[in-house]
Amino acid sequence: MISAADSGPDDGQWIMPARNYASTRYSSLSQITVQNVQQLQLAWTFSTGVTRGHEAAPLVVGSTMYVVTPFPNLLYALDLTQPGAPLKWTYKPDPSLASQGVACCDLVNRGASYYDGKIYYNTLDAHTVAVDAKTGKEVWKTKVGEITRGETVTMAPLVVKGKVLVGNSGGEFGVRGWLTALDAKTGKLAWRAYHTGPDKDVLIDSRFKPFYSQDQGKDLGVTTWPGDAWKIGGGGSWGWISYDPELNLIYYGTSNPGPWNPDVRPGDNKWTAGIFARDPANGEAVWAYQWSPHDLFDHDGINEQILLDLPIKGQTRKVLIRPERNGYIYVLDRTSGEVLSADPYGYITTSRGVDLQTGRLIEIAEKTPVTGKVVRGICPAAPGMKDWQPSSYSPRTGWLYIPHQNLCQDVETGEANYIEGTPYVAATVKMYAGPGGNRGVVTAWDPVARKAAWQVKERFPVWSGTVVTAGDVVFYGTMEGWFKALDARSGKPLWQFKTGSGIIGQPVVYRGPDGKEYVAVLSGVGGWAGAVVAGGLDVRDSSAALGFVNAMKDLPQVTTKGGMLYVFALP
Amino acid sequence: MCSRFRDSVILSAVLALSLAACQREERNFQGLPSGSAVANPKVREVELVPGGNVPADSRPGPYEENAYAVSQGKTLYNQYNCSGCHFQGGGGIGPPLMDADWIYGSRPANIYETIAEGRPNGMPSFGRKIVPDQIWQITAYVRSMSGLLRKDVAPGRTDDMQVRPQEQSAQKAKPVQSAIPKSAEIP
Amino acid sequence: MPVLFAHALVQQSYSTLNPASPQARLVDRLGDSMFITAAVVFGLVVLALLWAVFRRRDSDEGPAEDARREWPLRTSALVATAVTTAILFVFLILDVSVGRSITTNPGKGALQIRVTGHQWWWEVQYRDSLPKNWVTTANEIHIPVGRPVVFELKSTDVIHSFWPISLSPKKDQIPGDENSLWFQADSAGVYRGQCAEFCGHQHAKMAFLVIADPPAEFASWLARQRDTALTPTDALARRGKEVFLASPCVMCHAISGTPAGSRIGPDLTHLASRRTLAAGTLPNTRDNLIGWIVNPQVIKPGVRMPPNQFSGPDLLALVAYLETLK
Repeated sequence: MISAADSGPDDGQWIMPARNYASTRYSSLSQITVQNVQQLQLAWTFSTGVTRGHEAAPLVVGSTMYVVTPFPNLLYALDLTQPGAPLKWTYKPDPSLASQGVACCDLVNRGASYYDGKIYYNTLDAHTVAVDAKTGKEVWKTKVGEITRGETVTMAPLVVKGKVLVGNSGGEFGVRGWLTALDAKTGKLAWRAYHTGPDKDVLIDSRFKPFYSQDQGKDLGVTTWPGDAWKIGGGGSWGWISYDPELNLIYYGTSNPGPWNPDVRPGDNKWTAGIFARDPANGEAVWAYQWSPHDLFDHDGINEQILLDLPIKGQTRKVLIRPERNGYIYVLDRTSGEVLSADPYGYITTSRGVDLQTGRLIEIAEKTPVTGKVVRGICPAAPGMKDWQPSSYSPRTGWLYIPHQNLCQDVETGEANYIEGTPYVAATVKMYAGPGGNRGVVTAWDPVARKAAWQVKERFPVWSGTVVTAGDVVFYGTMEGWFKALDARSGKPLWQFKTGSGIIGQPVVYRGPDGKEYVAVLSGVGGWAGAVVAGGLDVRDSSAALGFVNAMKDLPQVTTKGGMLYVFALP
Repeated sequence: MCSRFRDSVILSAVLALSLAACQREERNFQGLPSGSAVANPKVREVELVPGGNVPADSRPGPYEENAYAVSQGKTLYNQYNCSGCHFQGGGGIGPPLMDADWIYGSRPANIYETIAEGRPNGMPSFGRKIVPDQIWQITAYVRSMSGLLRKDVAPGRTDDMQVRPQEQSAQKAKPVQSAIPKSAEIP
Repeated sequence: MPVLFAHALVQQSYSTLNPASPQARLVDRLGDSMFITAAVVFGLVVLALLWAVFRRRDSDEGPAEDARREWPLRTSALVATAVTTAILFVFLILDVSVGRSITTNPGKGALQIRVTGHQWWWEVQYRDSLPKNWVTTANEIHIPVGRPVVFELKSTDVIHSFWPISLSPKKDQIPGDENSLWFQADSAGVYRGQCAEFCGHQHAKMAFLVIADPPAEFASWLARQRDTALTPTDALARRGKEVFLASPCVMCHAISGTPAGSRIGPDLTHLASRRTLAAGTLPNTRDNLIGWIVNPQVIKPGVRMPPNQFSGPDLLALVAYLETLK
């Protein structure tokens, strides 16, 4: 059921963060199976020397593994042909120290992409680098954003047809969001699409055919904002990009509008909290849709979208599946942007559903934040039903494996003062566990039946990615530090290993030079969910780390900071 | 004792107490003279001085006993977006301010410098954007967050959603000067 | 007499005794009718009192005489009480009816303006159905003549009270709550308003102007207010813009079209189009602006804006820039 967007037969490598352009994170290696995974043991480890949140997916290209660390964003190349995978070289980009002051949610980096002999990744201080994959020498380094305006870059770039696609972070700093394409050979700017402002900046022209009437009109990126608020309106793209080579379209989402206090920005706030389909050659928008127009809860729209061909009502449709932050699993027709279904995958009090006629989210008025008032019981909380942590898809079971959370919050919005380079949020938040008390969940979702096949509850939010293999094993990590294997069909726990620190990274599966199947994951707690440990925060302030600390007061008791790569294999 | 003597003792006590409270209510609208040494301190962060025997810089801040200034500092702390990085003392993008660990020193002059000059790992430099008088007000408020100010000077409970105990009730946390940042990350 | 005296003292546009809107006129008439009735009643009571004090009394009247006089006295007392009750009842009806007519929402054709009280200035926001057309300004409210205007009243800090004196009775602005009042200006003019609830050190200097314009002029004023501030062409003003952006001003003030977007203090995008500074405290002239920037605490001690240090050339450049913000 995977579409042609899945780039070719599995060669045992892992050359881009989602394994392929369809973003399935599925490995067709089957040496490790449900029967023998109990024997999985540690093959070797590598300490990154950095102790902030490690969110990256290690890359495996040929017989070299590449690891990107959180700030200061070192790139390590490890030689998989030698026992213990010794270090080949280290590349140090020396990002600006000051960029640490404008990164909202720990100093993470979501990894690199390999293309045409080079490793491409971003540094926190808004530069994109291309490093020679053999020698570790810098080929080019391009500045893409301005930290004095609150811009940083944490996402893993995707390289499509010779263009390196990079998006900015900074929705909490009132930046103007964009997606930029750099030429992969030279690093020069090829095109930049903004996510707010007039059509010519958003690269909306005659080819743009949004499906719903609310997304049709001229210069909506200006008229759906008061005054010139769109210039500081957020809408960055710090998450995941997918690509369909057949339709020749890239798909990616945009972040929350700024500030979090919605009273200050009446209107639909286009094109934040939405998704774009664009032509990678020139960035032209082909269609767009907003998950959460006039977003009320920091529900960024940047999660992964998995490209599949699914049977819907007797027809096979080219779709993308998005487990969205606002609590719904959307199935969109990826040729037109039509919402085919949107089903909740957790407890929601903020909306009633998505109106499939108009495409609009049906909000519940009582949960709308009002300046100066305290609104309680907002579910899902700001990190949503699922944040950046990516899911995987198995063509064997036909299910998605979604790592996510179960959180609610109370919020009080306040006066918003835009002072360039400082946070522009205007909300005090206090998060806590949703119904059931478990803050984390792993859900196996059947997109054809449109319901969960099984769910595994976890004490803490499952902030790591998942990976699923042809051996029908799902791997993920918990914030206490357990790296776990589940049976993909039943959800039954099969194996686990306690690593040194909480896991928030993306696990990968590869074939080593010796032909064995390996599973690799970075351990090192942090990210927004783990900021209480990574940042050494004080749990007596419930509003710390944008309210997440209140929901994670017990995390410092179960894990400390760390930075270690763990690689497992069968004996 | 006789009634009149007792009355005058009581009267004197009442006068003395009410005058003592005056300082906490002083409004200094013209601010501190900006050219003065108090307004622009040059302060030492480190403990080691060659040749030794130089006392630590323990100048009190100008507003340590002024409740009005501390409450103005709290208002500015939120309006100037300090709360955007430090929240209500728990930290986030920036380190916590309500605990006992002070990376760059807890003395009023140290905190003033931190705000005015900025610090290398992400604290912006506000010296050209906030006038010295207001920086002193914010400094005094920051010190109240970890219970370093007297209870009658530190702010009480706000009308907003409560996320931390009021500064008045904060237990005095004996400052650890120049602590290793809990978020130390450079390998 | 007191009415005439008060009339003589105050200006045309700054008096409840000079109503300039139908709403204020209703209240004024109600007040006048109560005053006149009360004056007449007062006169009658004084007469009755004088009669009671000075009427002749025969020293040797007995109980029988008192009994004979009692019935007419009792009747008079009952009649007086009944008439008083009736008058008060009439007042009640008039009062309720005036109250209802000035508070009943005027309906969809009204212009909506949100006025938020701050210590010690007024934030004024024109809210349109199209968000792009929203306008935020401060201390000076323009309204079209002959069209009802509904004010949403809020406060961010303490209780203030919005009182457009000749145009409408006052209404409190209570933090955490929303009140509203409405009125319609009869004729073009400049009307002064005042904060009417003690709100701190500078409550006395928290005034505002309501300027009623003919509809066409109002529309063009609103359209100009929607524009962002243009980049100045004059070199001195351009330098002034740089001074503004590099100084503490940007921490509190917003100028649309520049990176300054803080809402702690009044929006300055169209500062030069306003007639007064500091919430009606000073006329908006160059000298007053310089004096205000350098040391607002001398003019309005306790106000949130601190004294500022600028070099001479920087200050002149800054003021040149601010004067371009029409």
